[in-house]
Amino acid sequence: MIVPEGILCSKSHEYLLEESETQFVIGLTDYAVEQLGDIVFVELPEEGTEFSKGEVFATVESVKAASEIYMPVGGKIIEVNEKIVESPEILNESPFEEGWLVKIESADAHAESGDLLEYLDYKEELE
Amino acid sequence: MSKRTVFYDKHIQLGARMVEFGGWDMPVQYTSIIEEHKTVRNSVGVFDVSHMGQIFVSGKQAVDFLQSIVPQDIAKLKPSKAVYCQLPKADGCLVDDLIIYNLSENSYLVIANAANIQKDFDWLNTNVKNFDVKLENMSNEYSMLALQGPAAYKVLEKLGLVQKQQPHFFTIKEFNINGISGYISRTGYTGEDGFEFIIKNEYALKLWDMLFKEGEQFSIKPIGLGARDTLRLEAALMLYGNDLTECTTPVEAGLKWSIPVDKVPEYNGKKIILEQIENGVSKKLIGFVMTDRAIPRHEYEIYYNGHKTGVVTSGGYSPTLDKNIGMGYVDTKDNITLDETIEIMVRNKLYKAKVVKRPFVAKKYKIS
Repeated sequence: MIVPEGILCSKSHEYLLEESETQFVIGLTDYAVEQLGDIVFVELPEEGTEFSKGEVFATVESVKAASEIYMPVGGKIIEVNEKIVESPEILNESPFEEGWLVKIESADAHAESGDLLEYLDYKEELE
Repeated sequence: MSKRTVFYDKHIQLGARMVEFGGWDMPVQYTSIIEEHKTVRNSVGVFDVSHMGQIFVSGKQAVDFLQSIVPQDIAKLKPSKAVYCQLPKADGCLVDDLIIYNLSENSYLVIANAANIQKDFDWLNTNVKNFDVKLENMSNEYSMLALQGPAAYKVLEKLGLVQKQQPHFFTIKEFNINGISGYISRTGYTGEDGFEFIIKNEYALKLWDMLFKEGEQFSIKPIGLGARDTLRLEAALMLYGNDLTECTTPVEAGLKWSIPVDKVPEYNGKKIILEQIENGVSKKLIGFVMTDRAIPRHEYEIYYNGHKTGVVTSGGYSPTLDKNIGMGYVDTKDNITLDETIEIMVRNKLYKAKVVKRPFVAKKYKIS
């Protein structure tokens, strides 16, 4: 597994990856998918929907339980990963590459990402 | 702090994720619930079920006493036989569900659910009245392992217990293998053929090692509570606390098949239970498969023709069917029948499901 450079992680285990100045990828960290166990269901928002930072935008269900997923920063959904809706196990197999959740457009991401941690700091926090 | 079984260190060594269950620190999964589930369906797995309780009932009036507390006819339970029982209160609602084994004349073993051991033991003591019986809660002295799956009997053969010496379905016998002795029964809670070992703690770790050594060629694996739950749900076996509670009667739970209506002796709740068998119940348990994309879970609401009719008691993903399945209670007045469409409220939206026969996956017990 390759952890993309520059990702920022939230305390609720979402990651934010910058693609361009205003476009970002959101997914779940490797720690999150490992803790969830076998993921068997993903519900993603409609493209075009806007969410604020901290709002629930998706649900991921493992065999054991349903978990709500929160926006690490506010923004508008511009693309959802249909592949993981069909094959949720991709989230377990490849959280950072194939298993991303949504892409967003956000003008506020930089202003709102102050509480997010760099990957190594995030990992350290977990220990 | 949660209690630990004698296998605790094994679970940790094997990398299990531990959770609290019924007051015990138990492994929920070792590698993956789906993988563990498939191991039991396709080959063989071992479950630590030492959290379950062992209550020994003995004495001159053991039969009469048991007759007074369960709807099942214990007088007809021959030595070595087992029976699935419920423990109703006077109102027919359940203190617990149990397996009772007839070990020998006037000597019975009651297996209680982990969270209910003390409650059941207290209940038995309250009901003892003038019966000449001895009640012993030996749960802390005994461990229990379940060996489940189509290759379970082959592991036993390798242990030196050839098929002729293996207990038949729903019976129990004493065993002695390499100096390890205890009880072995052909029971379990997965819908597969399999066995349960009930052994003194001092033998437990040695038996675990023997099972894994002899089971290696059958790819034996340790199985956590996560897969235990998905396996029992596919087999539509009741989970006390979810599908059975102190607010449900065995008739409502669809357990009429387990209750002999011709049993003569009185027992707690007999009047109400027989009346419900005769006249019907106001709520009943159904099974369903989701036709829309959503996973039903414990306590989600069930709708029928636009109105609420009941609540899901168990639900989840079925690895065998690759579908989402569930069980729940619905209002009998709605007269919901097989193949009909109901809806499940998931995160404030209704999703369609079809009522189906239980079990969801056919049981593969070796009856003869």
